Amino acid sequence: MTLFMDAEMPVFADFMDGDAAVVHRVRVALEDTESGKVVYLHLTEGEPVKWSVRDVRRLRDQAGRDAVTYGLAGEHPARLVVRDASLNAELGRLCPHLDRHNNTPHLMRRLVILSAAAIASVALIVFVLVPKLADQMAVLMPAKGEQALGDATFKQIREALAQNSTTQLKLCDAPEGKAALEKLVARLLPGTDFPYDIRLHVLDHKMVNAFALPGGHIVMFRGLLNEAQSAEEIAGILGHEMGHVEHRDPTRLALRSAGSVGVLGLLLGDFAGGAVVLFLTERLIQAKYSQGAEAASDEYAHALLAKAGLPSSRMGDFFRRLGKKDKDNSLLSHLASHPDPVARIAAADAANTVADDYERVLDDQEWQALKGICN
Amino acid sequence: MFDQSLQTDYAGTRGPLFWLALKTSTLTVLTLGIYRFWMKTRIRRYFWSAIRPGGIALEYSGTGVEKLMGFLVAVVVLAFYIGVFNLILMFLSFSLLNNNVVAYLASFVGLIPIYFYARYRARRYILARTRWRGIRFGAESAAWSYAWRAMLLWLATILSLGIYLPRQIFRLEKFRTDRTWYGQQKFCQTGNWKMLLRGARHYYIGLGLTITAGLGGFVNQSMLGLLVLSLPWLAIGFVHLRVTAFRRMTDAKRLGNDIGFCAHPRTGRVLGIYLLGYFLVGLCLVMSMVLLILIAVVVMVMLQSGALGYDSFGALFSGKGKSAEYLVYVGIALVYFGFFILLGVLRQVFVTLPMLRHYAETLEIRGGHHLATIRQRPRDEFSEAEGFAEALDIGAAI
Ligand SMILES: [Zn+2]
Repeated sequence: MTLFMDAEMPVFADFMDGDAAVVHRVRVALEDTESGKVVYLHLTEGEPVKWSVRDVRRLRDQAGRDAVTYGLAGEHPARLVVRDASLNAELGRLCPHLDRHNNTPHLMRRLVILSAAAIASVALIVFVLVPKLADQMAVLMPAKGEQALGDATFKQIREALAQNSTTQLKLCDAPEGKAALEKLVARLLPGTDFPYDIRLHVLDHKMVNAFALPGGHIVMFRGLLNEAQSAEEIAGILGHEMGHVEHRDPTRLALRSAGSVGVLGLLLGDFAGGAVVLFLTERLIQAKYSQGAEAASDEYAHALLAKAGLPSSRMGDFFRRLGKKDKDNSLLSHLASHPDPVARIAAADAANTVADDYERVLDDQEWQALKGICN
Repeated sequence: MFDQSLQTDYAGTRGPLFWLALKTSTLTVLTLGIYRFWMKTRIRRYFWSAIRPGGIALEYSGTGVEKLMGFLVAVVVLAFYIGVFNLILMFLSFSLLNNNVVAYLASFVGLIPIYFYARYRARRYILARTRWRGIRFGAESAAWSYAWRAMLLWLATILSLGIYLPRQIFRLEKFRTDRTWYGQQKFCQTGNWKMLLRGARHYYIGLGLTITAGLGGFVNQSMLGLLVLSLPWLAIGFVHLRVTAFRRMTDAKRLGNDIGFCAHPRTGRVLGIYLLGYFLVGLCLVMSMVLLILIAVVVMVMLQSGALGYDSFGALFSGKGKSAEYLVYVGIALVYFGFFILLGVLRQVFVTLPMLRHYAETLEIRGGHHLATIRQRPRDEFSEAEGFAEALDIGAAI
């Protein structure tokens, strides 16, 4: 039975068989057969092409309302372009799956597996491969190279922390303060067995923090000096940072971030404002060493203090006070990022071998000069 | 048989494209960027179907899934390359030279071949997913040799201060065209680079003036004032060079022995589309931002008067009115993402669409009856799609 359009009112359409680049003018007829409804495409010669209505699909997101392009389910490239509105309406009525386009169910499963594999691989690269490689290289790097790396990193940090982008953060170098600082370092490191020249800097910033950079740079912020109540506390913190330098932790970290920052840029890069995210992420990564590395640096500091005849319990005092304070501005602080402050304080107290009548590292005047090094 | 010339119709209109682009880019933001592979697919489907050489529309048959999968593969490969490569460079640079200038330079230079590689692969993928009259296009796999050639030709262009550019344009286009197929028929770029010279004269004048101004600037600062004249000249000359190069090279392309092309886009029209397009984009952006600010003011006033159920305006900033505070954050996020969504959408509507219309409507195919002999080519699986270009964020505008 003919459902639509008989020979007296022929409707034509453009047909391409997907085999040759020829446009066939075909007469379209819709018929009911034993195997269901079928679209007949009558070519000028030869057998008509038969499309089961169940297989007919309509292309999506097409421009122009004057023509509708049809194809078959799956990858078959044959196409039918119909410009007759009533035939398009009829096809819309008769073809049940016109807009069913889930012809890639096998791909969806592969997609899930691939996504998991991709995330795992990137994680492996960022968290295992790059750090492992960085650790190897940190040991192999000559001291001169480490110093250059430290110089470059120090410059970057000063630029990043400055208020406007064209300057660097101010270095504090009041002469009396510097003299006090040198005295302090001389007390801690009397010998010459340290692998680097220690280069100690105070930066004019309110953050309560100190950190070490590759090649012997140790940086303190003004905020740390304001927060400390005695020179012995500062000595403890310097000892801790010297531990990091001795163990080459900053070199490892700088190399690691050189690798992972590139990867993060690749992953986050094309979101607007990616640079900010990148910067923050990098800083957050930088603020943390492993628990083992922190404990080792603390032990190193305890030993240095004991050798210098200074009590390591002052270090504990400092962390006790810091812990009581609000953690608001400790987000970026390397000192406050220690995993277990209670154990850390206990360790500092337990390691103390010096009685209370020790010889003070700085007298009151020198201590005040140090605190005022930024003025 | 007489020579049959096929004109190209264009069926794209602003309204449907605007809604399609707005819908898909909003979904892209809501899915944290994942939908962008489907967005690209759907927008391409629209643009392709708008171009109808000889009355039959092009068809884009790529899928979002394959793009996402290609992207994932590319991210892993690039993560390895960038992570490990950067690290080794950094180490060597500091260990041997005590500075990182070489490392930065090398890590940038190291990405250049990948950039050209990705460009070629993306083009091959797009061609493999383009059909016309039911027949697939295709490109040969030659991405590394393309990258190598492109680097050398660009180097020559830079070292010659831009004088080499026409020849570079021709040679790269010839390399790509000679590896492009329609069904089982190959394209061929005939002609030579000298045919681009006529269209290059304004480019050369602009270039000459700019170089003169630059060199003169060393001697006499006031010579730099010449740049005011020379830079616009150079820019317009460059556009003219690209448009005429497209015209000449399209006219000199052959598909098999008997099918030729004729393109006649006009520089004035192309420049006009750019200028008017970006003017309209800017105008719409400003108007919608003004509208947003007005809405924000109205909301503020209503908050202040308590009409929305908040006690006072002060609660908004005192920290007590928590939900009002979230309202402000949501508002800021809406404005931020709304701006970028709108920018992208308007650019498609006011620049890409009219530009494609101009290039499509001025394209003819000569010897169309010879198309009948062209047979289908097998499907190019190309599972990595345009992943590298996506990962490096150098995908084409559409
Ligand atoms: Zn530490």
